[in-house]
Amino acid sequence: MRVSKRKLHGWAKGYLFILPSIIGFSVFVAYPLLSSMYYALTEWSGYDTPKFVGFDNFKYMFAEDPAFWPSVRATLYFVLMSVPLSLILGLLLAMLLNKSLPGIKWFRTIYYLPTVVPSIASLTLWLFIYQPQYGLANSLLRLLGLPEGTWLTSEKTALPSLVLIGLWQVGSGVIIFLSGLQSVPQELYEAAEVDGAVRWRMALHITVPMITPILFLQLILGIIGAFQAFNQVQVLTGGGPNFSTSLLNFKIYNDAFGGRMFGYAIAEVWVLFVIIMIFTALTYRYSNRFVYYESDNGR
Amino acid sequence: MHTEARFKRRRKFSLLDTLRFIILAIGAVAMLFPLLWMVTIALKGNNDVFKIPPEWFPRELHWSNFVTGTKEINFWQTFGNSMFIAVMCTIGQIVSSVLVGYGLARLNFPGRKLWFSLFVGSLMLPGFVGMIPLFNLYTELGWYDTWLPIIVPAFFGNATFSFLYVQYLRTISVSFDEAAKIDGASDFYILTKVLVPMTMPVIMTMVIFSFQGAWNQYLEPLIYIIDPSKWTLALAMASYKGTYATAWNLFMAADLIYILPMLLIFFFGQKYFMQGLGSLNSASLK
Repeated sequence: MRVSKRKLHGWAKGYLFILPSIIGFSVFVAYPLLSSMYYALTEWSGYDTPKFVGFDNFKYMFAEDPAFWPSVRATLYFVLMSVPLSLILGLLLAMLLNKSLPGIKWFRTIYYLPTVVPSIASLTLWLFIYQPQYGLANSLLRLLGLPEGTWLTSEKTALPSLVLIGLWQVGSGVIIFLSGLQSVPQELYEAAEVDGAVRWRMALHITVPMITPILFLQLILGIIGAFQAFNQVQVLTGGGPNFSTSLLNFKIYNDAFGGRMFGYAIAEVWVLFVIIMIFTALTYRYSNRFVYYESDNGR
Repeated sequence: MHTEARFKRRRKFSLLDTLRFIILAIGAVAMLFPLLWMVTIALKGNNDVFKIPPEWFPRELHWSNFVTGTKEINFWQTFGNSMFIAVMCTIGQIVSSVLVGYGLARLNFPGRKLWFSLFVGSLMLPGFVGMIPLFNLYTELGWYDTWLPIIVPAFFGNATFSFLYVQYLRTISVSFDEAAKIDGASDFYILTKVLVPMTMPVIMTMVIFSFQGAWNQYLEPLIYIIDPSKWTLALAMASYKGTYATAWNLFMAADLIYILPMLLIFFFGQKYFMQGLGSLNSASLK
């Protein structure tokens, strides 16, 4: 009897310590997730009580809303451009930085520096950089004798311009890859060298396979993050020109807090959520083809 | 052996390494250029900003921009708001995540594994999923147009930091806890007096990333805070970009002061940034 009482006491203590997260999880994760399943099926302005309308929100979204499909397209373009580009650039830079060269510490600091700049400070800076007449981007192009760019003002270039800002802040990915590269056992390279392997083959057959787990995790996190991009659009383009940068998360924000269509916006949240889950699941599914774990025998 | 390896490396500082160096140098210039341009604009006189062809270096340095630029938009009060919110969020996240991390790593109770995987799983959940129901909840609580929706959730655990702390605690031998327990120490004492001092590096990392996150956040303040006297710097700088359309120099000066705390933290705590990103990645592999 006494033993079980003491045990009970120990359990209570455990729950006491993790209580903050239990409350946090229930209130900030579980409650909104569950309640929004119902809200997605309602018409609701945020002021009135939600009115159940079945799948009307989804019907309107897929068949009538003129801004929905352009938003989906812009979002997919954005993700498919920004995620691979920042992974590849991050990995290349990390490989270049993973060697002792004169001033290598300075280089690492400089490449990381842009990620320290707060999101809004960097976005407002880039707004001025892209300004057609006096901005840095076109000034530089003129200096080099190149034709001026249209940047945020044209349907074709607006989205790539947003991607470029993300690439400027590739530094945290670089540092993560760098720490991965530095944990690759040196013996592997030495052994390969003895066997007379050439450098680029070592990179391809040792370095890349050894860091695929990190690559994979960065890919997943990159996908989830890119689908949620919002600040860029809100600060720089407002979704234009002609919906070309109207990323879904921005549209959701606008429909909810601009258009006061809470029910409809939540339905869109679910669509975006499902898209993210599909992308994540596909990545997981195909990951075992390229991700190498040390404990496995071979690939 | 060692000198031999070094000799070898010396010898190989050849074409390939020179090429490497050149590529890195070009990249570094590209990384720095926007920031340097920002600094030169911030120091220019108003008319010198709009010149074609542009002057790359300001002819005279207008340090007064930093005073004028911050006067017009109630900058310092906004700066104070941001600082207060960021400090409160940091305290909340660190305290709660350390407590939760200790509970998950060191105490034994039924359901521990389940909760752990729920918390870690919630990391994969996109943040915007809860946005609208939570907005409704906070509005009903009367928290609209206050800082509470931003600060209060910080005190209820942060999944990333709890996870990070659990991983770090697992590398510390339980014998320290047991020794203290034999001396009659309570769990709270063990955590605060024994383990926290030993885990200072990871706590510093958490402090830095927590502060950075709070200092940067934009969407939450945008949704919840209406009254300009309660604005954060992120809100203020985003909405004054229009007000300053004709005074870039003043805007850049104010924007630089917004960046400054992060720059200071970065230069003094660089080690923790790098460590943190490294441990985030290695922790996630387990």
